[in-house]
Amino acid sequence: MINIEKLQAFGADTQTGLARCMNKEDFYLKLIGMGLKETRFEELGTALEAKNLEKAFELCHSLKGVIGNLALDPLYKEICEMTELLRAKTDTDYTGIYKKIMDMRAELLAM
Amino acid sequence: MKSIKGLFDHTVLIVDDEITNREMLANILADEYKVIMASDGKEALEKIREYGSRLSLVLLDLLMPNMSGFDVLKELKEKGISSEIPVIVLTSEKSSEIESLHLGAADFLTKPYDLPEVILARVRHSIELFENARLIHATQYDKLTGFYNPKYFFEFASQFDERYPAEKMDALVINFTRFHLLNELNGQEFGDKVLNAMADGIRGVLIRNRGIAARRDSDVFYVYVTHLEDYGIFIDAMKTAFSPLLKGSEIRLRLGAYFDSDRSHTIKERFDHALQACNSIRNKGGNNGEEICIYDKEMIEKDKFDAHLLHDFEAALEQKQFKVNYQPKFNIKGDKPVLCSCEALIRWIHPELGFVRPDLFIPLFEENGLVTILDRYVWEESARQIRKWKEELGVTIPVSVNVSRVDLADPDMTNFITKIVKENGLSPKDYMLEVTESAYTDNQKHIIEVVKNLRSLGHKVEMDDFGSGYSSLNMLTSMPIDALKMDKAFIRNIKPGNKDMKLVELVLEIAKSLEVPVVAEGVETEDEYKMLKAAGCDIIQGYYFSKPIPPEEMEKFV
Repeated sequence: MINIEKLQAFGADTQTGLARCMNKEDFYLKLIGMGLKETRFEELGTALEAKNLEKAFELCHSLKGVIGNLALDPLYKEICEMTELLRAKTDTDYTGIYKKIMDMRAELLAM
Repeated sequence: MKSIKGLFDHTVLIVDDEITNREMLANILADEYKVIMASDGKEALEKIREYGSRLSLVLLDLLMPNMSGFDVLKELKEKGISSEIPVIVLTSEKSSEIESLHLGAADFLTKPYDLPEVILARVRHSIELFENARLIHATQYDKLTGFYNPKYFFEFASQFDERYPAEKMDALVINFTRFHLLNELNGQEFGDKVLNAMADGIRGVLIRNRGIAARRDSDVFYVYVTHLEDYGIFIDAMKTAFSPLLKGSEIRLRLGAYFDSDRSHTIKERFDHALQACNSIRNKGGNNGEEICIYDKEMIEKDKFDAHLLHDFEAALEQKQFKVNYQPKFNIKGDKPVLCSCEALIRWIHPELGFVRPDLFIPLFEENGLVTILDRYVWEESARQIRKWKEELGVTIPVSVNVSRVDLADPDMTNFITKIVKENGLSPKDYMLEVTESAYTDNQKHIIEVVKNLRSLGHKVEMDDFGSGYSSLNMLTSMPIDALKMDKAFIRNIKPGNKDMKLVELVLEIAKSLEVPVVAEGVETEDEYKMLKAAGCDIIQGYYFSKPIPPEEMEKFV
C-alpha cells in the first residue's frame, strides 16, 4: 500500500504535494494513484514507436503537468527532460529515457 | 485571509483535460467557491454560455486536445466575454504568457501549481478586480452612449487641468432642443437612437481632437476638448450621424461654448457659462440657423447684473423697493367700458439701477426659488390694497395676482392665500389668480388639483399667456379655468380680415364653447379695441385704457 514514507523514500517532495492537496493525505494518495494510472504513459510509448514526435510531445507535456503537481520529483525530472527533447523534435533514441520513466512509474504503482 | 461572503456566490470554472489537475484545483477552491469543471475547450465554451454572468472566473489550461485554451481565449475575446469574466491561464510555459495576455487573459498560474494560498489569493484578486471594474464602469459611464456620467466627467476634467495647466481647453454644452417631442412622437426607442447618433457625431470629432464627453439630463451633452476655432464640426458631424433618422428640418441642435484661456473659473463654472450660452440660443428663439453661441462679454455683463440683483434682493424687500402697481381690466360688453378688476404687477425701483424691468429679475428669481418670496409679498400687498380701496373708495376692485409654477409646487400655497384673504376680510371671488399656460404643461395632474381646490374655495383662476405655450386644445377641456387671457402676441398685428385677426376670432370661439370669458392683454390702440369688441371679446387690458398704475391712481377709474 502506497504511503507518505514510501513516497519520500522514492524522492517525492511530499511536503509540497500534500500542501497542494490542502494537507489531505488520503486525497493526495488518491490523486497519485489516478496520475500514475494515466493511459498517456502507454500512449506515449506508441507515439514514440511510430516516430510521431508531435503527438509524443503533447502526451509528455500533459504528463509533466500532472506528475509535477503531484511532486513526484524524480519521475517529473525525467519527464521534463523528455518533454524538452520532444519540444525541440530531437531525432534521438527515446527508448532509454522512456524505459526509465516507465520503470519509475512501475516502481510507484508497486508500492 | 478569507474574504466575507458578500451578496453573491462565486462560481469558478476549471478547464483542464487532466482529471488529476482539475481535482487538485477544485479541492483548493472548494471552501470559498462553487466549482464547475470542463475537460476541453468545447465543453468550456458550453459552460460559459450556460452560466453567463453567474460565472466569476475561468481557470484555463492551454494545451488540450480538441480545442486548445488559446482557441477558447480567442472566442471569448471576439465575443467580448473576456472583458466581463476574468480568465486565469494555467501554464508551465513562459512563452505562452504574452500570447495569452494579448488574447485577454487576466493572470497566470504556473504548473506545477504554487501553494494553495497563492492560488487562492490570485483567484480572489482577479475576481475582485473585475467586480470592481464592472461596478466602476456601471457608475462611471452613461449606459446609453458610453460617455462619462457628469460626476466622473468633471473629475477627469479637473485632473486634466491639474496635469496640463497650460493646455487651452473649451467647455461645450450641446443640446437637442425640445428633444422630448421626438420621444413623444416616435417613442423612446427612436429617441435613444437619436441620442446615440448625437454621441456618435461627438465621438467622431473627439477621435481627431483630444477631449472627453458626458451626457446629462437626457439630451444635454458636455464636451471638454482642446481649443477649436470652429465648433461647427460638432454640428456637422452630428447632422451626418442623424441623416438616416431625421430630416434636416427636424434637427434642432444648440451648442454653447466657453473658452477660458487662463482658466480663471472652475471647471463647473466654465460649463455653467457654456450652458448659459447654449440656453441663450433657445431664449432668442433658436431655430433660425442660430446653432452656436459663444459665451461673450454681453453674457459676462448679464451674469454680473444678475449677481447684483440676487445680492440686493433681501435688502430690496426690507426697504420696500418692490412696488405693486395695478393694471386695470375693463369689461367692454356694454356700451361703455367698465372697470371690472385689475392685475397686480411688480415693479422694482432700485436705488442704484433705477427702474428694473420685471423680465430682467422675475426669470432670475424663478430659477433659484426667490420668486416665491416675492410672489407672497405681492399677494399680501394686493390683499391689503383691495381692503384699502374698499375702505377709501367704498368699492371692491377685484385683483388678480400671478402664480408661478414654483408657487404651485409649494404645498402651503393655498393655505397662505386663504389666510391673507381672511385677514383682510375679503371674499375669495375678489381675489383672483393668474396661472401661466406653460405651468399647466409641467405637471398637469398636480396643477389641475391645486387649481380645482382654489376654485372650490371661491377663487377665480385665469389662464395667463394663452397661446404662447404648447397647450393642446384637447388639454383645455380638462383644465379648470374661469377666464382665458389671450397672449398679447395675438393682438400685435391684427387688421380687419387678416390671418392674425382670424386667429383671434378662433380663440374667442374656443372660449365661447368652453363658456369662459376672454381677457385680451396688451391692447394699445383704438383700432385694436374696436376690432376686439366687434369680435366679441369680453375684457380688455392694456395701454389703450391704462398702463399699470400705483394704487392711489385707481380712483380715477372708479
